Amino acid sequence: MSGTNNDIVITGIAAISAGGVGIGQLRETLKQGKCMLTPVPEDILGERGHLWGKAGDFRVGDFMPPLKARKLDRCSIFATVTAGMALKDAGIERDAVIPERVGIALGCGFGGIANSEEFLRGYFLKSTDGLIPMLFPNTVPNAPASNASIEHGFKGPNVTQVQRFCSAESAFLMACRFLEEGRADIMLTGGADDLTPIMIHGFKSLRQLRSHATGFGEGSGILVLERREHALRRGAAIRGSVGEIRTTGFLMPGREAEGIARLKGNANPDIVSLSGTAAELPHIPEIPADIPRLDVGKLVGRSLAMGGVAMVALLLTLPDGKRALHLGVSPEGPYFAIDFFGGPSVQS
Amino acid sequence: MTGKIAITGIGIFCAAGKERVSFTESLLTSKCAIGPVDLFDVSPFPAQIAAQVRDFDPLDHFDRKTAGRLMRADQFALIAAGEALEMSGVRGHYGPYDIGVSTGAGAAGMYQGELWLEGVVKGKKSHPSLLRGILPDRTATAIAGQFGLCGYQGSITTACSSSATAIGWGADLIATGRLSACLCGGTDALSLLTFAGFNSLKVVDPEPCSPFSIGRQGISLGEGAAFLVLENEAQALNRGARVYGYIAGYAIAGESYHMTAPEPTGQESARVIRCALENSGITPDQVGWVNAHGTGTPLNDVVESKAMRLVFGDRAGSVPLVSTKAMTGHCLGAAGAIEIVATALALNAGVIPSTLNFRGKDPECDLDYNHGGVKKSDVSVAISNSFAFGGNTTSIVISR
Repeated sequence: MSGTNNDIVITGIAAISAGGVGIGQLRETLKQGKCMLTPVPEDILGERGHLWGKAGDFRVGDFMPPLKARKLDRCSIFATVTAGMALKDAGIERDAVIPERVGIALGCGFGGIANSEEFLRGYFLKSTDGLIPMLFPNTVPNAPASNASIEHGFKGPNVTQVQRFCSAESAFLMACRFLEEGRADIMLTGGADDLTPIMIHGFKSLRQLRSHATGFGEGSGILVLERREHALRRGAAIRGSVGEIRTTGFLMPGREAEGIARLKGNANPDIVSLSGTAAELPHIPEIPADIPRLDVGKLVGRSLAMGGVAMVALLLTLPDGKRALHLGVSPEGPYFAIDFFGGPSVQS
Repeated sequence: MTGKIAITGIGIFCAAGKERVSFTESLLTSKCAIGPVDLFDVSPFPAQIAAQVRDFDPLDHFDRKTAGRLMRADQFALIAAGEALEMSGVRGHYGPYDIGVSTGAGAAGMYQGELWLEGVVKGKKSHPSLLRGILPDRTATAIAGQFGLCGYQGSITTACSSSATAIGWGADLIATGRLSACLCGGTDALSLLTFAGFNSLKVVDPEPCSPFSIGRQGISLGEGAAFLVLENEAQALNRGARVYGYIAGYAIAGESYHMTAPEPTGQESARVIRCALENSGITPDQVGWVNAHGTGTPLNDVVESKAMRLVFGDRAGSVPLVSTKAMTGHCLGAAGAIEIVATALALNAGVIPSTLNFRGKDPECDLDYNHGGVKKSDVSVAISNSFAFGGNTTSIVISR
């Protein structure tokens, strides 16, 4: 499945992760190539030897008052703060846009899990006396995108996708479609995830800590997308543009090559971004080995929606006029291949 | 949306009917499926009823190994998806990479996840397989693998509007030419999380929910799954498929107002309905009735009634606003899909369903809610509304 976008550009980016708060710190992490994963505290699992990518430098008090923060779950805080930073990076003032023309399509793998656990834990320990009603609204996976929309006043298309390690890429596809169709003028997209001790327990229980859940991370990466004409009309700085988006949902046993072939673009990229389990994909589309790879998950941790941070990192490192391929992969699908072009120039 | 998006397959599995025929019968005979719950202990809660799928043995549908791998919500989904695919006959007409899956999900495998968590909290041994489907994306993967639908795999998770949006998005994937066919819909299962959650918010009616009635106290929860097969009309007719209706258009929006309360004037709900009509190229005058979000909460029903007045003006009183949730319960992540299926089946049957469990007229709900019983109707266009936590709103226009 593939499709060409109608000249969609990226005008803002922001990220919070183990790699730091904001794109300045992420750029520095990428430049140094430094792994920011830290040991999972021994008291969580009762054993050593596991790493995670906690956004340890993030202090919610730097961004919102305690009363507001108490109403939100950590994942919603990531999304809300990152969305604000991305809008600022794009030079978008709340009062200068039509709220109904600004939307959000966010990938979120574990949104709502933290509140669900706390809510249910209260019930299991104290029956109905242990229930805390204010936790319940933020047990839904769309809480991060919806809380961000409430905070920043977006009234356009509002959607959350979860699809394995490609949750952010799935949302990205929707955001582009909504712009192409004219359902919105500005779409925020990317992903947000948080990481809690109970999730680590769950990964251990499923014996995933030595496989797909190795070095899991948390954070949020958000991109501001617009149609080029809209961005130019408001005088926005263009960081890059989106090319073709190709996706395959599932590789049919015995016919894997056919599905992989649908991910292949029409030209070799100058850089390849790997997200999810793309680095482990046995059938990776044929890309010459000398093309540089950017695997930000190795530095800050991967998660179901960390494709958002990966795409932000890619935009940070992609020189003007260069072509990039972002590959998002999950073990049982889906598979995404997204072409990006650096800088403001129009791509043929 | 360019080109007509045809519905060529319909599948449903819920308390009101475990396949299309029995569900249609419930719709035509106004049979309420809300009753006692025995899936888990509901005795601590003030409201103890729901539209639970009763007498369900997964081994009637799956072998033991397959059943053990699937969460309850996945099982419902595979059954409904199988029915929709069989009705459409779509497989074999397109390559596997030309057919995709767009699923809307809610609590998903939370019911089993809760059993795992309870064990952890109480220091008992919990089997890890209970966590396999804790995330809502598991269903789409299970469907893709089971039926060999390889073109696209995606899951929308916008609470109660998830599956309506998944169907709208499925239509988009056809309209853009990215897919030749899309199996789209949603599934959800009852869970302690949602049962306790809505009870803690005091929005569950102890009696079967009575949308738009005086004295209503809130929702009745439900569970189930519903799926449609969508195709481009010309392609569908070319392969000899029967067309059961159309997804004429849709709209989604965020109210940007409150996580749980609807914007009180109805302006935001009205906006998404108008956008859906605009996207469809259909005028309000062409709409015969509306399948309401209609949860039965005191506030939601009033706001949706206000939205109807804003969209339909003087005609609002003659466009029935019907809630099929009084029959199916509020199936959360599956609600939109179940209601879109109900709407498509009713349009095909030439009827407008009734809003059940009427308790008396509410002066704040002064429209036609078809409380009196199923009506015959030859209208060809209806709307289905789905409004969710977070202010996520979706309206879909369905025609026959």
